[in-house]
Amino acid sequence: MNVPLARTVAGAAVATALLSLVAPPALARNGDDRERRGSCSGSTDWKVKVGPEDGRLEVEGEIDSSRRGQTWRWRLYHNGSLSAHGLRTTSGSSGSFEVRRTSVDLRGTDRFTLRARNTRNNELCVGTVNY
Amino acid sequence: MSSAVDSGGAVRFAKNPVVQFLAAGLLVLVVVVIGTVQLSSRAADEEALNDAQSTTELLARSVAQPAIPRGLAAGNPGAVDRFDRTVLRRLLVGEVRRIKIWTAQGRIVYSDETRLIGDRFPLGPEELDVLRNGGTEAEISDLSEPENRFEPAGQSLVEVYTRVKSPEGEPLLFEAYYSATDIARRREQVYDAFQPIALGGLLVLVAVTTPLLWALTRRLDRTGRDRARLLERAADASESERRRIARDLHDGVVQDLAGTAFALSATARDPGTDTETARRLEPMASSLRASLRSLRSLLVEIYPPDLRADGLEAALEDLVAPAAAAGVTARVEVYDVAHASADAVRLVWRVAQEAVRNALRHSGASHVTVQVQQAGDRLTLDVTDDGAGFDPRKPASGLGLRSQRDLIAEAGGRLDVRSTPGGGTTVHLEVR
Repeated sequence: MNVPLARTVAGAAVATALLSLVAPPALARNGDDRERRGSCSGSTDWKVKVGPEDGRLEVEGEIDSSRRGQTWRWRLYHNGSLSAHGLRTTSGSSGSFEVRRTSVDLRGTDRFTLRARNTRNNELCVGTVNY
Repeated sequence: MSSAVDSGGAVRFAKNPVVQFLAAGLLVLVVVVIGTVQLSSRAADEEALNDAQSTTELLARSVAQPAIPRGLAAGNPGAVDRFDRTVLRRLLVGEVRRIKIWTAQGRIVYSDETRLIGDRFPLGPEELDVLRNGGTEAEISDLSEPENRFEPAGQSLVEVYTRVKSPEGEPLLFEAYYSATDIARRREQVYDAFQPIALGGLLVLVAVTTPLLWALTRRLDRTGRDRARLLERAADASESERRRIARDLHDGVVQDLAGTAFALSATARDPGTDTETARRLEPMASSLRASLRSLRSLLVEIYPPDLRADGLEAALEDLVAPAAAAGVTARVEVYDVAHASADAVRLVWRVAQEAVRNALRHSGASHVTVQVQQAGDRLTLDVTDDGAGFDPRKPASGLGLRSQRDLIAEAGGRLDVRSTPGGGTTVHLEVR
C-alpha cells in the first residue's frame, strides 16, 4: 500500500519540478497583496493570493481548468501545517473554483501552499506564496 | 447684651427636639450614605468580578475548549488558523477585550492579538496554581508587563484565567481580559440599584416622622406652659392668702399685743405703781415683747411686708431673724439690686425663704450667709451654710425647692444646689 502512494507522490514531485522548469510561477504585487500564478501538471492553471484583511491574512486560491463539473480536493497549508481543506467542483463559464480563508499573521514569513488534486485524472496543482 | 441674647437663642434652638431629631437624622443619613457606598462598592466589585469569572468560565468550557484543534498546544500555524477562524468572534463578546491561551511553559499559543502568538513569558504562581489545580482567578492586569505591550495606554484591565485542556490532554491557561471601566460601570449599576432602597427609605422615614415629632413637641411645650401657669396661679393664690392672714394678724393681734406690752411697760414705770407690782409687771411686758418679735418673724415668714427691690434687704433680715434664737449666726449681704424687677425680687425671696428654712431646720449649720447681687442682666442669690450637707445625686425628699424649679425655669432663671456630705450647702439662683 505504501508503494503506490510513494510512487504517486514521487511522480507528482517530478511532474511539478518539470512544470516549474517549463513554466515558472509568476509573482505579482498589488499594494500589500502578493499573488502567484502557475500551471498544474495538466492544462489547469492555479492562482494564490495573500493580503491583509482586518488584522488577519486573507488567502485566496483559484483553480481554473476551463471545464465545468470537475471535482477537486484541495488543501491549504500554513508554514507546512494544514490550515484548511475541502472538496470543490469547477463551475461557471470559466470552469473554475475559488477558495478564501483567513489566517493569522505570524511572526516572520508566512508561507501558504495550496494543493489541489483532480479526483478523476489526478492532475495536481501546487501553488505557494510567501508573505 | 445682644450676643448673650443670640447665644441664648442658639441654645434654645439647639435644645429643640425637632432640631435635635433632624440633626441626628442627618448624621444617620451621612453614616448610611458612607456605609452604603462602601458596602455597595464592595458588593458591586464582587458582583462585577463574579460576572467576569462566570463569563470566562463559560467561554473557556463552552466555546474555547471544544474548538481547540490538535496541534494548537504545539503551536502549529494551521491549528492556530483553524481555531482563530472558528472561535474568534464567539470569544470577543460583550466586555471581553483580549484572549490569550498559554501553555504551562509560559508560551502563548493563541491570542486574538496575533503578534503575541509564539511569545514566551514566565507564568506567576497563581496562574501555575490554576493550571495545576483548576479553579478561576482574577486580578488587575499589570500593563507594564511585556505581554501587555499591545494594550492601549491609559486604560485599566482585569484579567480572569481558568484552565482548559487540549485534545492531547495538555492543560492550557485560558485568559480573558476585561476593561476595568466596564467593571466600574457594572459597579455603578449595582450601586444605583442599592441607593434608592437605602437612602430613599431613610428620607421617607425622616419626612414622615418630622411632622409627627414637631406636633408632639408643640403639644409638650403647650402642656409645659400650662403647667407653669397653673403653678404660678397656685403660688399667687397661696401668696394672696398668706398676705391676707399676715395683714389680719398685723393689723389686729399684733397691734393689740403691742399696745398691751406698751401699757404694761408704762404701768410698770408709773411712779404711782408700787414697787412690788412694777417688779412683777416688767417681766410680763418683756415676755410679751419677745412673743411679739416671734409673731412678727412668723408674719415675715408667711409674707414679707415689702417685696420691692429697696425692701429686699430688710425682708431678708427679717427672714433670718429666727436664726439667732436657734444659735445660728446669720448674715445678709445685698449689693446693687436697685434696678431688679419686682418678679425677680419676689422669686429671690421665695427661694431664699426655702433655703434658709432648710438650713435652719435640717443642716445643723452654725453659720448661714444670704447674698444677693446684680450680675449683668441677672439677679443672683447664694444661700450658703456650713451644715451637714447631703449627696445631691440622691433624690431629695422635700418638695420646697423642687416645686419652685418650674417657676424659675419659666422666668428664664436657673437654680443650682451644690452640696457634699459634711461640706455644707450652697443654693445658687440666677434670674433675669
